[in-house]
Amino acid sequence: MSENILTQQFSLENVFKIDEYVKQGGYKAVRKALQEMKPEEILEEVKKANLRGRGGAGFPAGVKWGFVPPVDKPKYLCVNADEGEPGTFKDRYIMSHNPHMLFEGIIITSYCVGIHSAYIYIRGEYESIAQRLEEGISEAYKNGFLGKNILNSGFDLDIIVHRGAGAYICGEETALLESLEGKRGNPRLKPPFPASVGLFQCPTVINNVETISNIPHIILNGAEWFVGQGLAKDGGTRIFGVSGMVEKPGIYELPIGTSLKDIINVHAGGMKKGKKLKAVIPGGMSAPVLKADEIDIKMDFDSLVNAESMLGSAAIIVIDTGTSMLDVLKVITKFYSHESCGQCTPCRIGTSWINKIVNRMVEGKGSKKDIDNIVRLASNILGHTLCPLGDAAAMPILSLTKKYRKELESRL
Amino acid sequence: MVKIFIDEKSFEVEDGITVFKAAKEAGIAIPHLCYHDAFPPEGSCRMCLVEIEGLPKLELACSTQVRDGMKVFTKSERVVEARKGVLEFLLAEHPLDCPICDKAGDCKLQDYYETYGLFESQFREVKEKREKKAKIGKNLIHDEERCIICKRCVRFLKEVTHTQELGIFERGIHTSVNIYELLPVDNNYSGNLAQICPVGAITDTDFRFKTRSWLLKKGKSICPLCSRGCNISIEYHPGFPHFQVPKKVFRIYSLENPDVNGFWICDLGRYGYSYIDENRLDRIMIKKEEQKIEPTWEQSLQFIAEKIKGLNFLKKTSQIALVLNTWLSNEELFLIHKIFKSDLNVESIFFADRPQSEGDDILLTPERSPNRRGAQEMGLSIQPVKLETLATKTRLLLVFGSSIQDQFSSSDIKKVLDKIETKILFASHSNDLISFFDIVLPTALIAEKGGSLTNVEGRIQKFSPVFEPSGDSLPEWMMLADLGREFGINPSFYEQLKTPEAISIETEKEIPFFREKK
Repeated sequence: MSENILTQQFSLENVFKIDEYVKQGGYKAVRKALQEMKPEEILEEVKKANLRGRGGAGFPAGVKWGFVPPVDKPKYLCVNADEGEPGTFKDRYIMSHNPHMLFEGIIITSYCVGIHSAYIYIRGEYESIAQRLEEGISEAYKNGFLGKNILNSGFDLDIIVHRGAGAYICGEETALLESLEGKRGNPRLKPPFPASVGLFQCPTVINNVETISNIPHIILNGAEWFVGQGLAKDGGTRIFGVSGMVEKPGIYELPIGTSLKDIINVHAGGMKKGKKLKAVIPGGMSAPVLKADEIDIKMDFDSLVNAESMLGSAAIIVIDTGTSMLDVLKVITKFYSHESCGQCTPCRIGTSWINKIVNRMVEGKGSKKDIDNIVRLASNILGHTLCPLGDAAAMPILSLTKKYRKELESRL
Repeated sequence: MVKIFIDEKSFEVEDGITVFKAAKEAGIAIPHLCYHDAFPPEGSCRMCLVEIEGLPKLELACSTQVRDGMKVFTKSERVVEARKGVLEFLLAEHPLDCPICDKAGDCKLQDYYETYGLFESQFREVKEKREKKAKIGKNLIHDEERCIICKRCVRFLKEVTHTQELGIFERGIHTSVNIYELLPVDNNYSGNLAQICPVGAITDTDFRFKTRSWLLKKGKSICPLCSRGCNISIEYHPGFPHFQVPKKVFRIYSLENPDVNGFWICDLGRYGYSYIDENRLDRIMIKKEEQKIEPTWEQSLQFIAEKIKGLNFLKKTSQIALVLNTWLSNEELFLIHKIFKSDLNVESIFFADRPQSEGDDILLTPERSPNRRGAQEMGLSIQPVKLETLATKTRLLLVFGSSIQDQFSSSDIKKVLDKIETKILFASHSNDLISFFDIVLPTALIAEKGGSLTNVEGRIQKFSPVFEPSGDSLPEWMMLADLGREFGINPSFYEQLKTPEAISIETEKEIPFFREKK
């Protein structure tokens, strides 16, 4: 039987304060890691836990840490708290309800990789949450969990909160690094990957807030337990953020592999009264759309890939029959054309071109040929751009025009 | 070395180079817009996508390193389709104003349209309106509608001049390259921006709307305006002789030479070409008192030869004085050294050059002439002109070039010249000095003759004529070889010097520096 891992303390009103957090057993994981474990043992445990990245790409965290080369340079941790993927609102809950759980994760990760400076890159709009993080960090310093010689282990760590300025692209890891360095947030050409050449040209680990927040639990309870909470190749739980036409929109921490149908119908209370399900976007707006008859699916990375969609940030957007898919398409194309950084050709011009066509269709001036053209243009973006934003734009457009073509045509 | 396959042909290439470089070495051109050999790969235009066996996505040729056994496909259907797609995107928002674009003919978008063209636009929307003619610097006009955001200009100003006048503004479709507030592109290398812009986004005010690039002929040469010896291409209209329209130089482009100038030239060299066509001295000028000779090359050189012979017969060659300049080629300086120093023991040899000025730490040297090092290595000491010395003991004065007027006033020069019996000027341009001389002989410019120059670092670079000398002018080496034949100690030696190459061989035989540097 699974349990809540990340959200178990969310109901405790004052757990964001360090006293309450420690009273509830907080910072035990840090004590265990720093006083009883060697960095290699931690790495081994995280690898065994099959903790896959919660930001969207699902890359195994332990493997990522293992890529950091043993060079004589400072190493950095960047916690991606940009949470820009439309539909996603899970990290804000972790950071506002339980910031010290995140700090514990940061301290253990840093100790494991040999990092002495960690950055939390938080989206600019999360002003009060950034404030809460700052307060929590200063509490952690006062209590000896940050700063020099943490818990007499000889390990030093500083955490710096950096607020973004409102660009979706800065959630892309290399654009995040550029932004953090004070530059324009344009994605970098890879390779080199951030693990070897990242922030300030130094080896850098970049992980999502939710990913890092799982670390203290893995340390306390072990990899085997963690895998038991989810699937063998995909350990732990996910915080599913359900929005749209459901009775109880909100976040639901559930084991990886929970059925999408159950999440919508059981956990989120089913469709709003009088509304009928039409489509679901299962992993943030970049994920290809699923039709109403496709929701009997397990919510894990591999199952969704098999269904030609993706788990992404596990943000579930529920669309009812009263919503026009042309309007959905308009929202999607407007977003990506607005958020394209403008660096590479297919994304810069392609997303704008498609958005212009869709706007024309919405005005009632479209033709069947326009839909063909959208498909052709999105295919020319897919896989041809410098960073994943191009794919993120092309995938939902392609799936939507394929699955709802009849409806789109009826709107012409 | 590793073995790779490009389009199913195998090649041995250096390990660690990019697919783009490997293909280039193999003679396979990969289309590219943002990539430039001078900069690290940018990867933003997406034109250089290639297929690599075993990799799911198309990869960038400009940034992907070769691996042993790698199989690259540069012309597969997937690759061609992807490039078509990229080009279609670029052209969708491009103004397509080629008929009034200065880049037409040199434009990569045009070139690639020939290969990957779709031939029917699918774009039914309204193109973005942008600034069409922003003056972003003294020499530069920026057309934002034509810009493809390759950032070559931005990277040039960041990595070469370190001045960073241009930046990227806005994002998405509104992304643009621009100057910050009202601070213009203001450096001595700004002209390179117009040259490296792969489209017509940055054009050169100096060239703008004056001609079409396909009407121009091009010739390799060496920039003579400082001692760096930058490799240049002189681009000129050959003129319409039938209608008495003369040839005209329209622009100077830099040529790549990693040992000398890399990829660049400075604005001084780029824009300082008007001297080639303007105010040229096209005819031999003879002063009234010398009317007994005709203004022909034969009679003029004969006259000079007779004067020298006379002084030599009287053992009075100390009464000959020379004023040289360091625009003369190695070959010409060698002949002067040989004839006047070795054969005739002339001691009064001076130099008059345009005064030195400021250099920089990129290319420009303080010297404003191309061959000072060559003169030094030839064993000529670069002594400035002393007017008093000239006045006291000179009976025959030969002046090469007109830079003496940069150092002394015309009235001072005239006062001295009036005291000298015979004065000869070898000059390429008409100027105030001409009337002070008995004979003025028109000389060819570096662009009009062959030879070699020694740059500030001691590198010897050959050059060939780009076009015919203006009017009746001739290269100095030709006149000097003629003079040598007339009065030299060993006429048969000069007899065989019919080309700059022949002179160069003799230079190498006699002067160790030139032999070793060969």
